Amino acid sequence: MKKAQFLLMLVLLVGVFAAPALAQDDAGFPDFIQHTECEEDLTGQNIEILHFGDLSGSYAFITQPLLVGLEDAINYYNSNGGVCGATLSQRFDDTAGVPDQVVATYDRFSTEDPKPQLLVLYASGDAEALRDRVAEDEIPVLISAGSVPGLYGDDGATPGWIFATNPLYTDQLGSFCDFVGNDPMGVFGEGQSIGYISWEGAFGRAADTEEVWSYCESVGVSHAGSEFFLPTTQDISAQVQNLVDAGATILYTNSLATGPALVAATVVNLGLEDQVVLAGVNWALDTSVGLLGQATFGSDGLPSTDGLFGSAPFYWWTETDQPGIALIREQFDAAAETAPESHTPTTQNIAYLLGWQTVDLYTEIYIQTANRVGFENITGADIKETIEGLDYSPLGLTTINFQEGRRSTSANRIAMMGYLAEDGASMADAENPPMVVTVGERQLLVPINVALTDFVDAPDLRPGGADVPEG
Amino acid sequence: MTAALRDPRKLPSLIATVAVIVIALVWLGPLIASSAPNRLVQSGITGLLVGGVYSLVALGIVVINKASGVFNFAHGGMMMVAGFIFFSFFTTSNIALPFALIYSLVTVGLAVSIFGWRNLLRQPSLIVIGVVAVIALTFVLTLPGPNYKWIRGIVGGAMGAALLGLAVERFTIRPLIGQPLFASVMMTLAVSLILNGTTQLIWGSQPQTLLIFSEVNPIGIEVKASPLRFDTAELLGGNISVERTRLYAFGLSLVAFLAFWLFFRYTSVGLAMRATSENQMLAQSVGLRVRMILAIAWAIAALLAGVAGVLHGGATNLDTNMQYLALRAFPAVLLGGIESIGGALIGGLAIGLTEEYSKLLFSGDIGEQLAPYIVLMVVLVLRPEGLFGQKRIDRI
Repeated sequence: MKKAQFLLMLVLLVGVFAAPALAQDDAGFPDFIQHTECEEDLTGQNIEILHFGDLSGSYAFITQPLLVGLEDAINYYNSNGGVCGATLSQRFDDTAGVPDQVVATYDRFSTEDPKPQLLVLYASGDAEALRDRVAEDEIPVLISAGSVPGLYGDDGATPGWIFATNPLYTDQLGSFCDFVGNDPMGVFGEGQSIGYISWEGAFGRAADTEEVWSYCESVGVSHAGSEFFLPTTQDISAQVQNLVDAGATILYTNSLATGPALVAATVVNLGLEDQVVLAGVNWALDTSVGLLGQATFGSDGLPSTDGLFGSAPFYWWTETDQPGIALIREQFDAAAETAPESHTPTTQNIAYLLGWQTVDLYTEIYIQTANRVGFENITGADIKETIEGLDYSPLGLTTINFQEGRRSTSANRIAMMGYLAEDGASMADAENPPMVVTVGERQLLVPINVALTDFVDAPDLRPGGADVPEG
Repeated sequence: MTAALRDPRKLPSLIATVAVIVIALVWLGPLIASSAPNRLVQSGITGLLVGGVYSLVALGIVVINKASGVFNFAHGGMMMVAGFIFFSFFTTSNIALPFALIYSLVTVGLAVSIFGWRNLLRQPSLIVIGVVAVIALTFVLTLPGPNYKWIRGIVGGAMGAALLGLAVERFTIRPLIGQPLFASVMMTLAVSLILNGTTQLIWGSQPQTLLIFSEVNPIGIEVKASPLRFDTAELLGGNISVERTRLYAFGLSLVAFLAFWLFFRYTSVGLAMRATSENQMLAQSVGLRVRMILAIAWAIAALLAGVAGVLHGGATNLDTNMQYLALRAFPAVLLGGIESIGGALIGGLAIGLTEEYSKLLFSGDIGEQLAPYIVLMVVLVLRPEGLFGQKRIDRI
């Protein structure tokens, strides 16, 4: 009898301790989250998402919601079993966008014991600054989007240790040129010319390359010229007018938040709405741009940022039929009830989605690596090996495939920023008035992004890339 | 010129000036000639409008420098914080009574205790004035509804700016009296960083739209005032557009400038500040309360920063980047002459015009970034004291 009781207790105990590990067959997660099955129980372990970047400088508009997204996602994943039982947490440092601070922070993080196995960065400039260092220290890095020098080196042919979860900025502009050249909506016509107007710096200049412009020429889109401005610049009417005078019919910007909003407002203020179309990098379609654009209205009675084209390499907040987005929205709304001050309309942006995507990607990377080498033995090189073989769709938001030496994703589509109409289902236009909502004491329109194309591979426009025209 | 020709010591300066002018004409002449006339006029207008705000920022820096000799690197931060304080009062219809009371109490408390708390106890009349002021300010701040947003914004913003200036002076600059000036300058750098962090903690990092120069559009939403457009196609080959938000900001900058110029020139406190800036020891020996004057100077500089912050925020947005606007005002300060009020105005306008014309003539942002500093360098080489600065000769 005693023996039977002892065996029963043993079975119960095993059950109690083994349950979290077995639970990583995603018992707690919805079906659409398909992680690799755990082979090791990591209960009691902690995986720290270590990240640093500009949280108080020019990029703070974007990066602040990233922290909230990471925190909400971490809470959700931990409450559903974490990574094979291991909990997730985040630790970050603010570099304020100061290059020296970036290097100093990296020095501090990289010399910790144990050495970090994986880092997250935000800015192209940071990636370029640390490219050689992370390779030397064998610490792989995930970054949201990057420049050719940061990911592939100056020659564009030397894949490093940094992996971008969005298409290269060059490839995004190439995608847009494809869109203009193919003109599926019939809005562009022949003889389009792009004026490139962006922030000064690695990010702003990232897509302004010879390869991009020769590719655009090959699809029938010319380059009118490039102008740059600082995030602190008050007025860019001269730069905008310079490009229009040079024949630009499209103004493309590699900037974010106040950058695209300033370009759009300047176009309206100069009365150029009928002469140029606005377009931009994926960050240009961010909620912050849609809200800032409402300070200036065009002659059609809609905000200056209405009709802004851009890259949309992952699903957007409004695409709630996509289960990942539905889950994120549900969790956001729940979190907003307990922490409304950190879950404002501006938090519903790109970076918040990226936060969730990063946590899911971390989970998959660690499961695969732990399965292969054992959790205790994981090194940065092991993580890199996992990432290099990855073909995974975090929360179904986008496709991550770094195989064959790729250091960025390639799936991209083109979308357009607009504003929700009164009917709550369509996009407002001159005949269809926008829905007006009251947030706090302000009346606002609701910015939305509408995908205009399906996901297709963006052209590879690295130096020597597969799609760069000969000669 | 004839004086320069008569005085051989001034000849190199004259030659350098002529050389600079010739080089500028040879280099820039063809570029200017190839630009469309409407673009030249447009850049001139925009440059003046942008420069007006630079001038106001420069004035605040000059005020501190005149009174204390400190070059205030925290001015941009003060501008940002004061702008956000105005925004909060302007856009919040219901300010909680306890908050308004504490806010008024702290501001008035700091103001009436310029000479120290012990002195306050010796002057009961100051306490009475303070109590009345606290009650009145609390009442104004708690006026409910959007109809009172202007009075709430102006009073709350002015209180915030004054509080900021007085607090910076009292707790960071005053303890350094007697220390090398460099220590105070470094302290302003530290204050700047603290203000940046505090702003993010309180208001976050999202840019805010400050609709002070606004109109209601056809769908009933308040938006920024639309630009003025002038049909000058026949005359200048193209139209001219003037942003009304900038025009208003420029106009108000000039009004603020004039008000402070009159203050410095004709009020006893203004005159005392000018005397203190000349020689603190001498000013104290003739009975001027130097400590009080320094505190007032900081409060005034903070008010100027606040006005600049609100006007700039109204013309563009309120965000944490606006603190760096002060960096654009630094060359204006040096160009005009570091202790010259008129120089701040001319310097600001000159920098605004330089920026705009460089953007027109040179593609990219190199012109915008470098041109003000090149102009500054050339002027300082030719006139080290700036355009309107005082020439100082130290005999050793």
